[in-house]
Amino acid sequence: MEFSSCHGCSLCLLSCPVWRQTRDVRLTPHGRAKALQNGASAADLQASIASCTLCGACEPACPEEIPLIDMILELRRQQPIQVARGDVPSEKEISVGNVLLAGEVLRQDPERLKRIASLLDIAVAADDGSDISRAIECGAALSSERLSSFMGSFRNAKRLVVADGLLLRKLREWLPEARVVSLGEALSTLEAVRARLRATDLYVIEPRAFHADHARLVRHYDALIKARNLKTNLDLQRLAVPTGASSAAKRVDPLDQARWILDGRAFERVVVEDAADCAVFARVTDRQVLHLGDL
Amino acid sequence: MPRSQSTSERSTSSQQTNPSRWQGAGWPAFVSSLKDVAVIEDAPMRGTFATDAGGTSYGMPHGVVIARSAAQISALLKAAQAHRVPVTVRGGGLTTEGESVAFGGVLLDMTGMSKCLFIDPQKLEVRVEAGIFWASLAEHLRRQGMDYLSAPLNLTSSVGGTLGVGGIDVNSARFGCSADQALALQVVTPTGEIVECSDEANPELFRRVILGYGQFGVITEATLRIRRYTPIRMRYYYYASLRTAIEDLQMLDREQAADYTGILTMMDAAINLLVAFDSGEREAAFDAKWHSRVRGMGEAAFSARAFLSYLVRPWRWGEALFLRDRKRQLFPEFRRPEHTRDGKMEDRSVVFSRAVWKFWGGRQMVIPDLATSSAKFAEAVERGNAVCKRFFPRYTLYCVGIRLREEHRPHYEMSCIPPDAAGWAYGCEFEPMIGDGTWSRDHLQSFKNAIYDIGVEMGASYYRFGGMMKGYVRRVFGDPLVDRHLAMKRAADPAMILNRDVIF
Ligand SMILES: Cc1cc2nc3c(=O)[nH]c(=O)nc-3n(C[C@H](O)[C@H](O)[C@H](O)COP(=O)(O)OP(=O)(O)OC[C@H]3O[C@@H](n4cnc5c(N)ncnc54)[C@H](O)[C@@H]3O)c2cc1C
Ligand code: SF4
Ligand code: SF4
Repeated sequence: MEFSSCHGCSLCLLSCPVWRQTRDVRLTPHGRAKALQNGASAADLQASIASCTLCGACEPACPEEIPLIDMILELRRQQPIQVARGDVPSEKEISVGNVLLAGEVLRQDPERLKRIASLLDIAVAADDGSDISRAIECGAALSSERLSSFMGSFRNAKRLVVADGLLLRKLREWLPEARVVSLGEALSTLEAVRARLRATDLYVIEPRAFHADHARLVRHYDALIKARNLKTNLDLQRLAVPTGASSAAKRVDPLDQARWILDGRAFERVVVEDAADCAVFARVTDRQVLHLGDL
Repeated sequence: MPRSQSTSERSTSSQQTNPSRWQGAGWPAFVSSLKDVAVIEDAPMRGTFATDAGGTSYGMPHGVVIARSAAQISALLKAAQAHRVPVTVRGGGLTTEGESVAFGGVLLDMTGMSKCLFIDPQKLEVRVEAGIFWASLAEHLRRQGMDYLSAPLNLTSSVGGTLGVGGIDVNSARFGCSADQALALQVVTPTGEIVECSDEANPELFRRVILGYGQFGVITEATLRIRRYTPIRMRYYYYASLRTAIEDLQMLDREQAADYTGILTMMDAAINLLVAFDSGEREAAFDAKWHSRVRGMGEAAFSARAFLSYLVRPWRWGEALFLRDRKRQLFPEFRRPEHTRDGKMEDRSVVFSRAVWKFWGGRQMVIPDLATSSAKFAEAVERGNAVCKRFFPRYTLYCVGIRLREEHRPHYEMSCIPPDAAGWAYGCEFEPMIGDGTWSRDHLQSFKNAIYDIGVEMGASYYRFGGMMKGYVRRVFGDPLVDRHLAMKRAADPAMILNRDVIF
């Protein structure tokens, strides 16, 4: 862990939803890194470790380039957080060509999933690794058999489209040769989808995948914003304000985050990349809320 | 009057001032008297605040209090007076001389109070809790199409901390320092009274708190002047002479030719005058009237000139390569497409601040500075530049003008604004590029002393005269003024508990 490089500039606080809602430096990367420098153990940092949504906004902000997500995941391995386990898929199937890993929330909406699969002309993987993602998020042990059966199921796939931003980050690490893209990027690259975006839309970027590849994706979305004249959930640092809806951590109130995203912005529709955000925004606005795949 | 000293009087060690640690007498009784104020005493949290951005001054508080309300701070200060426990206030902690470091006692973390309370776009005012970072304030303001007037280029200094020390931006030659944009404050005095003050209400307290280094109260809320947001168009002029660049800067400021001006250098080898505009009309007027009077070169002409000059000086090729690499790294940062639209820079504070942290930030930062009247400035910078050359192979100078508000002259007493400045004051920061290089603390301190000695000799002031540099307070301001302020401090803070190690 490279916490020792932290010099306390606080830049990681600026886009952190936990900081925004608590104003407690102990619950931020700055606080964790400084505490570790001062001899704290993972057990001492339990509340801090459990609070993080893993949105990743802190990481591109850090001028020391500390791998802050790896740092929190490592701390969670030492101090796991409790959550309900995701289902382990029973069927095993080998995917080839383009494969969509839909994730828990999208899987529960077969209509939407079908639409997205047809838009992307892509096969939906039976095993989307959502149990693996949950285990990583919570710091639970991962069995090597489960991991190899998951990876083996798409060894021959050409391109993986992943809805879960945390799993995407890990897949890039595990499969450096594979083409792994986020569902948001894949859909927002399609001309048919782009053409349906309107200048009056508020477009909500899924933060985990975005921040995991920020230097490249900030250009992708910048081009999209300029082409379609969109408003987005990017802040002034061009980091995506998260709702935290997909997170296992419960410290952040997604409704409050969603209200902050909407605050002062004029829009007619909210278009989200993360299916989990649909329900959140629907509760805080009477305007239409759509998934990018619904356009 | 400043008193000049002979070289023999100015030994390094006599200037290196680390406060003694408060030993903790009565701490348990103090903590138990604080019924509704949570004091965090665990070592990791205390250690989080062990140093400031400078990274050369270290101290441990006995406990940390996260600020939550004026009432809570009032209770804290009342108890601190009764038990004689020092309280050190911290905003962003971006001081470099240990001014926001607690050498025992309580560290009051103001960032716990950082809400934007309301924005009034009609009256062009915002009310905030004082622990808010300028960057967070900008996020709120921009949703309403608004912007603050001026703020430090670092994103994480707080409003309260900045109003106490100054706050310089590249538009300060037009809008003044950040402290001058404060219209009203809520202050908790050292004895725990919660008082609203402004030029009209409790003006004496307002005068003392603005630019007061946290001596006369904790700023808990602030009403600030704001303006409509505009993206800006940047221009750069290059110089080989510091003096010429400074003369041009001062001419542009005097004539209010541009909306943003400043000088940023790489040593004295590449001197860059940046000029920027809020509107096409302002830029067109500049082109018509001032562009031809600016003696700086364009980028291509300057690069060609520098190339030829280095070509015949092979012993300076190392420097040439450094300049080339630095330019290659730095310039794209200022031209990032995601912060640019239609050739204009959006979010200038983000662009500048990120570059500042990336290219000048680090685990240790020493940024001594000189603040002078317009007339003395070129000489001060040249002398400071000569000191930089003696101490470091690589450094940066950053110069800006600060427009003064005549009616605020009482605010400026014993502050970074030099007493002889009229119209504009000028500041230059001398920032060695320390990077991961290891310089001894003595080397860094000697460097700061050498810069500050120039200030004493020239009758200047400093942006950072507190903390480890407080030995200079009496030398530049003289005993009568300092004693008068000390008497005011004693009257306001009988147990001398609030930020007691910063100035006196
Ligand atoms: C990388 C870097 C870049 C910088 N760039 C600039 C720049 O461009 N322009 C510029 O002007 N400065 C600059 N500075 C200096 C720095 O911004 C100022 O010192 C800063 O404004 C202080 O704000 P802060 O919130 O960090 O205050 P702190 O460092 O936390 O405190 C400053 C002083 O005020 C006191 N204080 C803090 N909050 C309060 C409060 N609410 N009430 C009363 N007293 C309080 C503290 O006790 C301390 O004495 C820079 C510093 C760094 C490290
Ligand atoms: S990942 Fe998100 S929630 Fe976690 S510390 Fe970073 S910014 Fe905060
Ligand atoms: S941004 Fe990085 S260096 Fe700065 S406080 Fe956060 S973790 Fe530390």
